[in-house]
Amino acid sequence: MELYRALGSLIEPPAPEHVRLARALGLPAVPAAEQHAAVVAFQRHAYASVYLGGEGLIGGEVRDRVEGFRRALGLEEAGHAADHLAALLSHLALLETWRRDETGLARQALLSQARDTLAWEYVLSWRPPYLASFRQCGSPFYEAWAVLSGRALDALCDEIDPPARLPEALRAAPAFPDMREAGVDEIVSAVLAPARSGMIVLRDDLVRMARIVGAAARATDRRTWLRGLLEQAPQEAVGWLAGHARRWAGRMEGARPRRVAQWWSGRARRAAEALEQAAAQCGTAAAPSAAAR
Amino acid sequence: MTLRDLEARVSATKAEVEARGETFYPGASRVHLAAYPPKERWSDWVELDAEAWPKRVERRYVLVPTTCFNCESACGLLAYVDRDTLEVRKFEGNPEHPGSRGRNCAKGPATVTQLADPDRILHPLKRTGARGGGQWRRVEWDEALDDIAERIRSAMDEDRHNQIMYHVGRPGEDGFTERMLAAWGVDGHNSHTNICSSGARAGYHFWMGLDRPSPDHENARVILLISSHLEAGHYFNPHAQRVMEGKKRGAKLVVFDTRLSNTATHADHWLSTYPGSEAAVLLAVANHLVRTGRYDKAFVERWWNWREYLEEVRPGEPVEFSVFQQALESEYAEYTFEFAAAESGVAVETIAQVAETVAEAGTRLATHNWRSAAAGNLGGWQVARALFLLNALTGAIAVPGGTYPNAWNKYVPRPIRMPAQRPKRWNDLTWPADYPLSLMEMSFLLPHLTAERGGRLDVYFTRVYNPVWTNPDGASWIEMLTDPERIGLHVALTPTWNETALFADYVLPMGHSAERHDVASYEQYDGRWVGFRQPALRTARRRLGEDRVSTRSANPGEVWEENEFWIDLTWRIDPDGSRGIRSFFESRARPGEKLTVDEYYAWMFENSVPGLPEAAAREGLAPLEYMRRYGAFEIDAGVGALYEEPVPPGELADVRVDRAGRAFSRTPAPAPDNVVPIPPMDGDDDGRARVGVEVNGVIRRGFPTPSGRLEFWSRTLAQWGWPEMAVPGYSRSHVHPQAMDRDQMCLVSTFRLPVHIHTRSANAKWLNEIAHANPLWIHPRDADAKGLRTGDLARVETEIGHFVAKAWVTEGIHPGVVACSHHMGRWTLNDEPGQAGAAVSLRRENGEWRMRRLKGARPHRSSDPDTDRIWWTEAGVHQNMTFPVQPDPVSGAHCWHQAVRVRPARGGDRHGDVVVHAEKSLDAFRRWLGLARSAYRHSPDGTRRPYWLLRPVRPERAAYSLPPRAPEDAGSG
Repeated sequence: MELYRALGSLIEPPAPEHVRLARALGLPAVPAAEQHAAVVAFQRHAYASVYLGGEGLIGGEVRDRVEGFRRALGLEEAGHAADHLAALLSHLALLETWRRDETGLARQALLSQARDTLAWEYVLSWRPPYLASFRQCGSPFYEAWAVLSGRALDALCDEIDPPARLPEALRAAPAFPDMREAGVDEIVSAVLAPARSGMIVLRDDLVRMARIVGAAARATDRRTWLRGLLEQAPQEAVGWLAGHARRWAGRMEGARPRRVAQWWSGRARRAAEALEQAAAQCGTAAAPSAAAR
Repeated sequence: MTLRDLEARVSATKAEVEARGETFYPGASRVHLAAYPPKERWSDWVELDAEAWPKRVERRYVLVPTTCFNCESACGLLAYVDRDTLEVRKFEGNPEHPGSRGRNCAKGPATVTQLADPDRILHPLKRTGARGGGQWRRVEWDEALDDIAERIRSAMDEDRHNQIMYHVGRPGEDGFTERMLAAWGVDGHNSHTNICSSGARAGYHFWMGLDRPSPDHENARVILLISSHLEAGHYFNPHAQRVMEGKKRGAKLVVFDTRLSNTATHADHWLSTYPGSEAAVLLAVANHLVRTGRYDKAFVERWWNWREYLEEVRPGEPVEFSVFQQALESEYAEYTFEFAAAESGVAVETIAQVAETVAEAGTRLATHNWRSAAAGNLGGWQVARALFLLNALTGAIAVPGGTYPNAWNKYVPRPIRMPAQRPKRWNDLTWPADYPLSLMEMSFLLPHLTAERGGRLDVYFTRVYNPVWTNPDGASWIEMLTDPERIGLHVALTPTWNETALFADYVLPMGHSAERHDVASYEQYDGRWVGFRQPALRTARRRLGEDRVSTRSANPGEVWEENEFWIDLTWRIDPDGSRGIRSFFESRARPGEKLTVDEYYAWMFENSVPGLPEAAAREGLAPLEYMRRYGAFEIDAGVGALYEEPVPPGELADVRVDRAGRAFSRTPAPAPDNVVPIPPMDGDDDGRARVGVEVNGVIRRGFPTPSGRLEFWSRTLAQWGWPEMAVPGYSRSHVHPQAMDRDQMCLVSTFRLPVHIHTRSANAKWLNEIAHANPLWIHPRDADAKGLRTGDLARVETEIGHFVAKAWVTEGIHPGVVACSHHMGRWTLNDEPGQAGAAVSLRRENGEWRMRRLKGARPHRSSDPDTDRIWWTEAGVHQNMTFPVQPDPVSGAHCWHQAVRVRPARGGDRHGDVVVHAEKSLDAFRRWLGLARSAYRHSPDGTRRPYWLLRPVRPERAAYSLPPRAPEDAGSG
């Protein structure tokens, strides 16, 4: 189970100790801190709450549930780190170690159940979009890390006994809003919350979008920037987002775990449809949508 | 490569790295939820400067482990020494410390604010005006040392050894100064303990021979605390984290606390007991265990001194265990739940539930009492004795989840030299015959004894101690300190200004935790460790290739450390070695030269700490280098029930077992390297040493008590005048409603605030900002009756005076009780307040002391710009000054709780006012002295004190003999 800990450690800011870890795993050279900041810290936040929460933000109910899970197992509270991928993978490894060391069959079964639940609810539930976001990220190290992490989590997926139901966070995720009724703030929030839109919109994506829209890149948060783009060039911006959602729907097809990936794909598809309709309306109206005002 | 291959490669690499003693995963890391830099990089750790944000400015640090000095826990700290400026920039926890495990409370990191305190003392100062006049001149260390040494030498030459006294507040080290005083031949050790923990410790001492509990909270099923322990109690951080771990594993937490403290809020059962009733409730629980037969009879039969009890207390009855069981039942039959409820104000049902909870704990019952009820009440020592009765009944002693004797979870390494001599003279000022069983020195009576009996101290050291503010009846301390007939020379060894130092002749700056050497080891779980305090700047410089010859030259200003100070002073007292003192601090490697701290600790770590040399060698380090690198070493864990350990055959030659089962041998084990204090046990008349006690035909280690067993019945108490208290019992406190007038209430004055620690934390600005007030807690029912609302001024009248505080109306206090934290009310006689205390006027007129606040806390200019940002004006009230001395006649502990009258303030009263009537304070002293039972009347063997009782500096045996009765002893019974 050390493989999980190692993969978790490598998504944290680079440290000298990572050199021997990367070497052991056959990964490319460990990047500089700046590359970690550009690829991970500023764009691909490694917190479950960002991808599973209805607001797309770090913390909140998802983190509270992870903390509750830790508490129930008698583990130390992890605070802000509880739902970080490194902590979750470390937690998985710990449960597996406990399971292996346990001689009582009943307790062993309980530990298996705990491990499977943690994996299903808080790791595999966001594995498809998160690891997919590293494709062509421009860092050979992180691209290779994502591929290897995908292999390891797929093996975990084969090993566990997934419940019949989807993870709780996915079932509870609010739907993408009705574009005819939603205000621009709600649309921006929904687009930037992966669990609602089914897609991940990185800062790099906004750069591309801005280029197409003909706007300049802005040194501000994604929310403000996206809102600006929607107000500046509504039809183009909404259209671009619809295409982005379509691409994500396609990316998720065939990913694993199958049922989870299908959920993500379906969610992105529905977002794409809503955005396409809104874009079409923008072409016939003076504004991106009445609702977007 | 397959995933299995990758897993194997990572695991192998990890094993290889960890085998070298290195950290595999980096820190700060979410992988192990650690926020600690890997130890391999402690010599060159890079962090971004938060203050430079958004610029990315890297700062490089040398991380030096040390131990905190703010309370007695000795938690590990890591000092972040800036490699460029050679300043300590911050403190964090030391993950290598086995007790604190990298965690700290607020007081640890706040040490950095103490180092940078703009008011700190950086140079030796000598008084130039009258004592207390506030006029000082800077002097050289040599001048101060020569002057002090000359006075001490003269006292010794004139056989006035008892006029030399060292009075310690926070020891923070294990035995260095006690051994030095023994080497000096001076019975001058005086501690603060009798205003602190000695009540509870006496209770433990009479039970098991050792005087501190070491509860294994982490593995307990039931944790029973007589204190606000999770919040601010003894060994707060190391214990609190283990209490929480125990809770997470399902342990039930039972808290006895008059206040709704933060600890009480975490309890499964919170018992808001009326102050002083705790023992009654505990005995009701014991009665329940006995009556329902749910106690460990086999353990009781093996390990209690029940035979001795039957023989002495019930002569004529068969000495059989079944008879004892009946006797036990009848001893506690009166302690019903109903009785306990009537005494405590806690519901019968609640007490019954707690009794059931304890009954279900089995041997996993972790209990702890440190100060709290034991420090508040007349007879408070019986609270600890009644509490430990529950452990003794359930067999929850030195087993997982139970409570251990401290000495089994503590390691004090043998130093390079042990004193060959002991004091020849007994000091009656600290160990008066009135209190032959007092656990520690009668320190808080010093002004009264010197006033009433004419004692004099020619050289009086106060060391990290502030009796004027901390002790009851502080005005009597001012009177003593300003009286040249009673105090010849007062030397205050302190890192910061305090109320006592204002009245000193010399104020000598001593280092904070990161500015001194010490070793310390404390009972915080079932394991033994040694922590090493070291001067961070000196060690950092050494790592960077620069060696400083003394700690003084590396510390800020001329701040020194005590180790080097005492070595230097000792050499000046005995410059040619003719007094036989200097040799105690002579180098072994370079005979005739001074011992250095490096040699002192290098020898200790090489020769006296089992396993340390081997652990160091595995990393290619010398033991001292290892300790300088990691700051702590765990010797072992899982020590277990040592009393059950059979004495090995090699220690058994020509054995004699006496009638009581005590075993004596001619080949006892050699003196151990662990010199933790344990009571000395007398051998037999034929010269054999005591090695253990026979239990069911096997000679086992047993307990260090006169009987070798757990002493349910104490022959010591019975023979020295207290037969009615020889078994764990309950007597009503001096603040019991029946002992007070109808219009009086009990004032609980003992509780701590989580972020403060007596006088030590006053100059930590972060802590002052968090907590700077001590309002009077009062229940709404009482507040209504008195017409008080939150924020109103209340006058609180004690036996000897009054103070004026702000009321805080809260349901978090037992009705009929008021409470005020002792952490506030710091003051200065300067015109301007400091960051922690108010500027006050203090006058004595017509037999009355009157203190009035002139200015509260306020913004002011200093070298620290933060003092200009002080936003609060509160500084609390100095309530302790209005408390008379109230020594418990058995344990000697000051009984802190006060019988008071609370009224709305009168016209002219101001917040912070303190008034004390000097004559009434002496009256109170005499009245409480009248409760004592003097050795002159009750000693069974003509000695001053039972020899087996612990004593920090033990004089020669001959000094124990009572001299002819002194006339001044007439006060006690």
